[in-house]
Amino acid sequence: MTHFRYTLLGRLLADPMAVVAIVIISGLVLAAIFADVIAPHDFRAMNMADRFAPPSWHYWLGTDNLGRDTFSRLLQGGRIALYVAMTAVSISALIGLVLGMLAGFGPRWLDNTLLFFFDTLRAYPTIILALALAALLPRGLSTVIIVVVVTSFSEYGRVVRTQTLSLKNAEFILAERAMGASFGRIVFHHILPNVLGPFFILAAMNLPVVITIEAGMSFLGIGVPPGTPSWGATLKDGFDFIRTTPWIILSGGLPLILVTLGFTFLGEALRDQLDPKLRKGR
Amino acid sequence: MLTYTLQRVALALAIVFVAISALFTIMVTLPGDPTTVLLGPRATPEIRAEFRLQMGLDNPIYVQLADFWGRVLAGDLGTDYYRNRPVAVAVFSALPHTTALVFGAIFWSASLGIVLGAFSADNRNSLLDRVTGVLSVAFIAAPSFVVALYALLLFSVTLRWFPTIGAGEPGDIGSRLYHLILPSLAIGLAWVGYVARIVRASMLETLSESYIRTARAFGLPRRVVIYNYALRVAILPAVQVLGVGIGGMLSAAVFAEIVFSRPGIGSLIYDSVSGRNYPVVMGSMLVAIGFFVTCALIADLINAALDPRHRTKS
Amino acid sequence: MTDHRLSRLFPTLDRRQLLAGAVGLSAASALPITAWAQGTTLNVRSYLEPEDYDPLDASGFLEEMLYGCIYRKLIQYVPGDEWAWQNDLAETIKQSSPTTITFTLKPGQMWSDGYGEITAEDVKFSMERHMVEENNSRIKPDLGPFTHVEVTDSHSGIIHMERPFAPIWSIALPYLAGTILCKRATEEAGGKITTAVPPTVSGPYRVSEHRLGERWVLERNPDYSGAAPDFDRVDIIAIVDESAAEIAKEAGDVDFTAIGPGSVQRLQENPPANSQLTLHPALSYTWVGLNLNNPKFEDIRVRQAIMHAIDVPSIMQAAYFDVAEPSTGIIAPGLIGHREKTLIPQQADFARARALLDEAGIDRLAIKIDVLNNVTATTSAQVMQAMMTNAGIDLEISVHESGSFWSLGVAADGERWRDLELTFKRFSMTPDPYYATAWFVTNQIGDWNWEQFSNEEFDRLHEEALSETDNEKRDAMYRRMQDLMEESGAYRFITHEVTANLYADTITPATRPDGLPMVQFFRRA
Repeated sequence: MTHFRYTLLGRLLADPMAVVAIVIISGLVLAAIFADVIAPHDFRAMNMADRFAPPSWHYWLGTDNLGRDTFSRLLQGGRIALYVAMTAVSISALIGLVLGMLAGFGPRWLDNTLLFFFDTLRAYPTIILALALAALLPRGLSTVIIVVVVTSFSEYGRVVRTQTLSLKNAEFILAERAMGASFGRIVFHHILPNVLGPFFILAAMNLPVVITIEAGMSFLGIGVPPGTPSWGATLKDGFDFIRTTPWIILSGGLPLILVTLGFTFLGEALRDQLDPKLRKGR
Repeated sequence: MLTYTLQRVALALAIVFVAISALFTIMVTLPGDPTTVLLGPRATPEIRAEFRLQMGLDNPIYVQLADFWGRVLAGDLGTDYYRNRPVAVAVFSALPHTTALVFGAIFWSASLGIVLGAFSADNRNSLLDRVTGVLSVAFIAAPSFVVALYALLLFSVTLRWFPTIGAGEPGDIGSRLYHLILPSLAIGLAWVGYVARIVRASMLETLSESYIRTARAFGLPRRVVIYNYALRVAILPAVQVLGVGIGGMLSAAVFAEIVFSRPGIGSLIYDSVSGRNYPVVMGSMLVAIGFFVTCALIADLINAALDPRHRTKS
Repeated sequence: MTDHRLSRLFPTLDRRQLLAGAVGLSAASALPITAWAQGTTLNVRSYLEPEDYDPLDASGFLEEMLYGCIYRKLIQYVPGDEWAWQNDLAETIKQSSPTTITFTLKPGQMWSDGYGEITAEDVKFSMERHMVEENNSRIKPDLGPFTHVEVTDSHSGIIHMERPFAPIWSIALPYLAGTILCKRATEEAGGKITTAVPPTVSGPYRVSEHRLGERWVLERNPDYSGAAPDFDRVDIIAIVDESAAEIAKEAGDVDFTAIGPGSVQRLQENPPANSQLTLHPALSYTWVGLNLNNPKFEDIRVRQAIMHAIDVPSIMQAAYFDVAEPSTGIIAPGLIGHREKTLIPQQADFARARALLDEAGIDRLAIKIDVLNNVTATTSAQVMQAMMTNAGIDLEISVHESGSFWSLGVAADGERWRDLELTFKRFSMTPDPYYATAWFVTNQIGDWNWEQFSNEEFDRLHEEALSETDNEKRDAMYRRMQDLMEESGAYRFITHEVTANLYADTITPATRPDGLPMVQFFRRA
């Protein structure tokens, strides 16, 4: 495994697109982790005297309607974005993994039922489903995560199912089974490692989508509670005062674009390295 | 092919049925009494009680669900009790606006994407190819509501080139298109990148194929070869991608319709979800999901017709 | 101009004299119109789409804006800074006894599309249909103890009430319930107007088209009996979001819109080209309510601590940008029953709040506030959250979109109303105090009285004040009622807000004293 990772990383670093992606992503991750250290101001501190301040040396990206520092809030927003993305992607990946394997290994009827289930979930346009669910559930990050999980785990399920099906009847697996290998051994030693490649590509491609969904929901006012400095909420606040403080909309959109760029580049680079056959489109 | 088509259609119908039924159940169990919201603060408890009865809100969910499907199959999407009119009227007067928006977005993404993609393939590995490559990804990266906001600020408010609200005068195609340009561009921009990359990839593949080389050997001018042969081959996968992308565009349409204050399915759903206007939510979801599934089905069938291998795949 | 003041100045004048003075008052719509505008369109923004053409289904100002353009009433509000009314269809109208009002109609006022002259039968039909049980009128309460109209001849009649009803002049006649429909056309339509375009209208404009989800398009009513309006076409455009509306105004797509308090200062400092900004004190009331039946708030000291920990001036500064004034109750200045000051100072006293909590034996108090999903409400809540920590109170903010929010305190919708803690609410108002106190009586618990405030004296006063014709006495009663509310420790009054209107200087808008537009009286500048 070490050998594999070493070569993967080595190969990635040879790809300029991947380097750009890694720089962007690690920059964002570091900024999020050290947000409290980097932030010039307390992201919660209200200062009425300085509200709607334009960008300056004191407030790099200006302040909002309550006089809170936009730059510090965006840093904090990075934390939220990463938290939502990591949590939501892990949960949907896990559900997808289990359901996908069930579909792949299970009897024909189970496979068909799960496939139908996946297809049905895909029939909901994400934001429209988010609207319906957000009205049902209390507002907050957990609701955002639930919406993301509901709309995205079927993708993982499909990928895992396809991989599992193609591997299930591969000769080396059939041989192992004939030799009496346990189900667990087959899953953990053969299926999982082979499923992980496309799985990571999907995850990398999915992360910015997740962050965008959170931002979109917060923008519609159905995401995080007020005062939470998520990027979407910052954009929403910016839109409320768009004519007074256009820089909030401008600077609030930038990290979203950057993070999407970073992960999209990374996903592409991973795809090139892990699965050149998948190269055509999505 | 006929069996395949029938299978796919049956599956699509089943998906729509289950997806809508599940949603109906969720909507009906939402916390929030529609009578309070819809009748306003001055309605007496008696008016409310009668209203609940009239709307069947006191029946068990499965009865409401059966009633709902019974009416839908009879061609009745229910009554919008907020405005005392059939839901079908609300939904089908909104649908053309959203359809125009989505197809406008497809137009933008296809035209810009094909031009960008063909251009990159033609000038492979040049500086311009790289710039377009980055541009494509940048387009993908920009969330549609951010694009819509920026576009509104720049083109409507600052430059005043385009209107900020509405869908234009009915019966006046020019005015309709004028109002459509900016919002459809905001939605379509994200897909320009996808299309450009697909067109580029398939063109590069095609360009290396023998008949192109043959054509060039016959002395046909290079551009004619590229744009006549390769492009034709390359457009198909692009159109397929757009067929699949309609779901994403419908989501993006919600934002575009809100930011540009346009009528449409997206804004209709947004308004009705917050107003607990169940019949309209269900009617418009039914139509939105039906629209999406139909488009995906058509894309799938085209794909299958052109590529028989696809039929056995799933 | 002979006005009928509904304000507190009212008691200083003799009622009879004043009413007599109204006779012969001509409608403002009779102002001479010189500018026959050519090809002019007026675009007015509304915050939601108005619903339909039948007053039976009307719920509030959205419909009033539309009905004002296409229908007429016996009397209408006078645009301007004082609450007053003027004759519209009525040639004479007066309080002939405490329970009757006698009116005569102007002759020759026509329905459009060949529906003939407007008669006393139309008045009778239009008002009485709200009282018919099967009609389920949503605005029936506006008519109070109204019983029927006695038609004396084709152009005159007597309005009868069961008992005296002061708000008949301020709410019933000049607002939604006073809208006169055509009896024949409505009966032909099956008793209710549900068509996409009303069969007949009487106002200065008629409906040319309703574009669902977008706008109502009105055009000149050629059969209008008054002077022709200035505009060929009026579009009432639904734009929910205030900043979107401001952008539309700036881009020239809208001529008149209300804007949020956050934009006022910037627009005052940098007035946009060719635009005017006006501010009007509004009547609506916003307050923080506390559920008296929640066990958390059983101890009056806890309730008082919370009241003392809410700093109203900070909320005014942060959420209302200092353009609105703190309120002393639910009845705005200028109306009967307005209080001069609150019992608990509007400035927070954190030490006092802390001391009260200590007395109650509470170290840290964790409470929750439910607010509506709009920038003013959420900003106010954030300010409260930040300030309350000074008194050792942790405030959790829970935001709801409108559907969910307005059902929170409603008993018919599950058990959530019992567990409510704090809510941040805004109720709309008409220029009569009856309309404010009506929602806080005991039988409104589980409906609109989310504080679950129940006070016998309050309930009794509300009933008595309804029929009290002496304005001084009425005034004292309403002031006492607000004292009772505040003494319960369940109410922290925030503001009556301010309406800020932004409009193109090519038009001269007409607004009620609370700044809401009366589009029928808009003119070209």
